[in-house]
Amino acid sequence: MSFDETPGADNGHEMRFDPARMRRTVLEMAYAGSTVHIACAFSIIELMTVLYRHHLRYPGNDPRAEGRDYLVLSKGHGVMAQYACMHELGWLNDSHILNYFKDGSDLKGLSDSRVPGLEVTSGSLGHGFSVGVGIAMGIQRKGTDQKVYAIVGDGELNEGPIWEGALLAAHHKMDNLMLIVDKNGFQAMGETGEVLALGDLSAKFASFGFETLEIDGNDEMEVDAAICRLWASGRGRPKALIARTVKGKGVPFMESDNRWHYTRLNAQTYAEAIKALGFSEH
Amino acid sequence: MRDAFSSALVRLALADPRVLLLTGDHGYSLFDEFRKRCPGQYINAGIAEQNMVGMAAGLARVGFRPFVYGLAAFVPIRTVEQIKLDVAHDGLPVVLLGDGAGFVYSHLGTSHQSTEDIACTRAIPSLEVLSPADRFEMTASVDRAYEANGPVYLRMGKSDRGDVHAGPIGTLSPGRLLQIRVGRADRPGLIATGSMVCTAVEVAAKRELSVWSAPSLKPLSADDVSAAASGSSGLITLEEHSVLGGLGAAITEITSERQPVRVLRIGVPDRFSERCGTHGYLLQEHGLDRAAVERRVDEFTASI
Repeated sequence: MSFDETPGADNGHEMRFDPARMRRTVLEMAYAGSTVHIACAFSIIELMTVLYRHHLRYPGNDPRAEGRDYLVLSKGHGVMAQYACMHELGWLNDSHILNYFKDGSDLKGLSDSRVPGLEVTSGSLGHGFSVGVGIAMGIQRKGTDQKVYAIVGDGELNEGPIWEGALLAAHHKMDNLMLIVDKNGFQAMGETGEVLALGDLSAKFASFGFETLEIDGNDEMEVDAAICRLWASGRGRPKALIARTVKGKGVPFMESDNRWHYTRLNAQTYAEAIKALGFSEH
Repeated sequence: MRDAFSSALVRLALADPRVLLLTGDHGYSLFDEFRKRCPGQYINAGIAEQNMVGMAAGLARVGFRPFVYGLAAFVPIRTVEQIKLDVAHDGLPVVLLGDGAGFVYSHLGTSHQSTEDIACTRAIPSLEVLSPADRFEMTASVDRAYEANGPVYLRMGKSDRGDVHAGPIGTLSPGRLLQIRVGRADRPGLIATGSMVCTAVEVAAKRELSVWSAPSLKPLSADDVSAAASGSSGLITLEEHSVLGGLGAAITEITSERQPVRVLRIGVPDRFSERCGTHGYLLQEHGLDRAAVERRVDEFTASI
């Protein structure tokens, strides 16, 4: 099956990957582990939802299947969103979620590639994309139709190796590689525009030789359509999806409030956030 | 020695199509043969070492066997974090080739000199570190790096100092010391690596000292080091690398626990090169030329 033939195909997981439920999973983990980076996970929930539901292929539902597509979460700070997807797929169980950060547990606060389902060890930014470029080059050499997606944060674009990798991906005509920028407009210490202005990202990546689209990254329909369109266009060109997102999306008091990059939940904010997602307290 | 490197790499690449050579726009004539015979396995990743090492990790993840070449000042030094996180963390079969280690680029100054690479790579878990002394050790090291099927740093230093072995050394066993010369047990023994093995041999001859070459710095056989220590009155280490964190440190880490003995570490003092000149000139500046080494060996021998 190639994506060009079956745009937007349902991988049989329509019932899974409900964004509100995934956000609840993130809150449960964050509360259980008393940890941070909630807002970093919330901005990419719809991107993850669409990728896992419609695009990523894991033969036999095996996270290590040889012929799988690769989702490289270069912005490792959003890893709880990926854990939530892995929970939807049954790769993680409730105990993984509720025992997050317990002594001796496997799931770390940033992506660790030794966990099946996570492809890179990230958190130090600007690493995952290069690894993704290497995976895409390897797949290109093998001649299979596997796809590689790399999600990077807009703040992460400060890192030099991203641009080294972008040059190389275009030079080697990696049309099996899609860079997805989670453009939530914030990085740890403030707005990206204040810290280090990124300018016109679509124009930047287009000038590198990427096929680019900019869309609302919290709109599932737009995300799905854009991914299909990017794969169908620009043969011989890598793809860049600039996804405008809201940091903290889904819980109004977290949205675009950068404190939720590093604030921990307490009993009250946890209950309020769960309620804001439309769930009753539990 | 460089021919031995090139031949071994070409041989491996011809035998295994998964072998890829990545270079950060370095290598010049070193890769003429490789490019001629295995053009499809040669990738110039541009002057972008960080991306190159990350990319090598990605290639290894999908079954390839990347050999990543750069000057030691850049691979590993510029890319230590990529080596740690992208390569070594998952034990990926990526071979890092650091050329021109030590003071090979003696005229170019600090940016191209590398006297901290062993210290940095030794401290990275699961990374094996090799440092061949002559063409025979080079051939065995390249083969070992391939056979290791895991992360390896292969240090390539001054390569024109001649042979220290009489002929091929066969398979290189990780960690083993190779005895080059048997000396008197009532005198200190010399353990050297890379280009300094030649100096050790020159210095040892008329002093009747034992000499071991250490082509494999990590792992390092505690048994071999203990045996060398117990068969000598003390140990002297020689390396074209900082006295901090390199061969000398590795030896003392073992002797202090297993076979306490006095150890003189001869290497690059904890400072950058002041001036430029020939390789020989810089060795002199850092007290690593033959005359300076002889002086220190004699003082140490007399003090025991």
